[in-house]
Amino acid sequence: MDIEQKQEELIEHFVNQASTFQGSSLATVIIAATSHPSLFAFSEILSVPNVIELQGTEHSIYLDLLRMFAHGTWSEYKSSASILPPFAPDQVLKLKQLTVLTLAETNKVLPYDVLMQELDVVNVRELEDFLINECMYVGIVRGKLDQFRRCFQVQFAAGRDLRPGQLGSMIHTLSNWLSTSDNLLISIQEKIKWADTMSDLDKKHKKEADERMEEVKKALSLKKLQTVSRPTLTSEGTRRCSLNLVE
Amino acid sequence: MASSSSGLTFKLHPLVIVNISDHHTRVKSQSQPPTANGFASDATSASSNSPPLSSPRVFGCVIGVQRGRTVEIFNSFELLYDPSTHSLDRSFLEKKQELYKKVFPNFYILGWYSTSADAEESDMHIHKALMDINESPVYVLLNPSINHAQKDLPVTIYESELHVIDGIPQLIFVRSSYTIETVEAERISVDHVAHLKPSDGGSAATQLAAHLTGIHSAIKMLNSRIRVLHHYLNAMQKGEIPYENSLLRQVSSLLRRLPAIESEKFQDDFLMEYNDTLLISYLAMFTDCSSTMNDLVDKINVAFDRHSRRGGRTAFI
Repeated sequence: MDIEQKQEELIEHFVNQASTFQGSSLATVIIAATSHPSLFAFSEILSVPNVIELQGTEHSIYLDLLRMFAHGTWSEYKSSASILPPFAPDQVLKLKQLTVLTLAETNKVLPYDVLMQELDVVNVRELEDFLINECMYVGIVRGKLDQFRRCFQVQFAAGRDLRPGQLGSMIHTLSNWLSTSDNLLISIQEKIKWADTMSDLDKKHKKEADERMEEVKKALSLKKLQTVSRPTLTSEGTRRCSLNLVE
Repeated sequence: MASSSSGLTFKLHPLVIVNISDHHTRVKSQSQPPTANGFASDATSASSNSPPLSSPRVFGCVIGVQRGRTVEIFNSFELLYDPSTHSLDRSFLEKKQELYKKVFPNFYILGWYSTSADAEESDMHIHKALMDINESPVYVLLNPSINHAQKDLPVTIYESELHVIDGIPQLIFVRSSYTIETVEAERISVDHVAHLKPSDGGSAATQLAAHLTGIHSAIKMLNSRIRVLHHYLNAMQKGEIPYENSLLRQVSSLLRRLPAIESEKFQDDFLMEYNDTLLISYLAMFTDCSSTMNDLVDKINVAFDRHSRRGGRTAFI
């Protein structure tokens, strides 16, 4: 969320620039925007009318470039490197960062091999340096690097610009989340009721057991009076009986 | 009471609030005669004692640190109030101040406190008396009446300002806002008080029910917030609200965090812990059963003991 705040001013600045310039000067604006180290959101610039007009003109490659930065990855760029203008090192870096964000979209646990392949790095050390310096310190991703299992566990990844169809899937995910939490609420309520009924049953059971014990005690004491009146066989018993009668 | 314009920010520690309310409760319960406790005497107490009047006001001093524009009130102690002279016991105050200085060299006397529903005129005398220790003391007022409808704390902090009223410059109390600042130890105790368990310790079922109720309300809040987001996105899709890209980006990053916990390692650990808990409760049940059985056997041996001669007194159940 802080990424968004950091980017807000930059986005405004570039949008203003884009709306004032036209044609070829727009190309410079686009290149400046895509090389800026803290800007990761391009859909606002994409929606500026002057930029959309670029479509079909000789500078449409810059529009495609902007679109690539908004939605594409490094491997997509490599496959279409011929049509797009060559990249400065800043832009290469930015596109790789955006690639990490796209990968984080689908999986929470990114294996090192996939990352190395997508980002064109050969060894793990370089990959980890890239992830730590360029992604985590900038703040676009937060996560844990698990070297033993060779994977990167993503806890937070900043959002990329939305493709047109993504809004529908986001709404779908949200509604799933909603229904899951509703079900969870219902099952928690049932559990609470169950706990209460169980404790009630337990108390009743205890009460019944106590009552039965009381009854048996009473029956016992009655019986004791009866057994005392029986003729006894030992003198000890007689003595005890007489004492009882006196009581 | 106008609101303060001095620009000072006040930070209040919960310890002070607990101290003041404790002082008030102690004095109130000590001033009532000792026969007035226990529920059985409720009916008689109403007739035998005088009905408790407005609870006596308690007074004390607050101490803390002032750094620049921030005034942080850490602690407080009690003072004796002399109703005849309408002032606080000065020598006691100074003695206490010395003692506290030894333990907390950083703390200064920042002001004083009392309990009542509203600030009164006589308070100004006490306030002026304290002005020679601290040129701008604060007055912390705790309202001891319990108002269930009120959501925030019944604590107000007043400062004194020189206002010109009717041509005469006078000191009046002005209200200031404050924030609550907690140290870790204070947080633990406040948490403990907030989650008072049923006093008998509760059977396992009531504790479980209380815990589940807490979880239930937390999830309910989360649910309502997700519902709002869902509604908003739906409206955006239908076109009622213009696209707001930065918000959509934040929502997409949020949704990517779901499912929050899912990985092989988590499943393994979770199952292991679940099995451990089940095993332990099974074992506990076993132990319980075997000890009950043992007791039962002992009782039977005692009851049906054939080796002693007791004649007709043997009880046959």
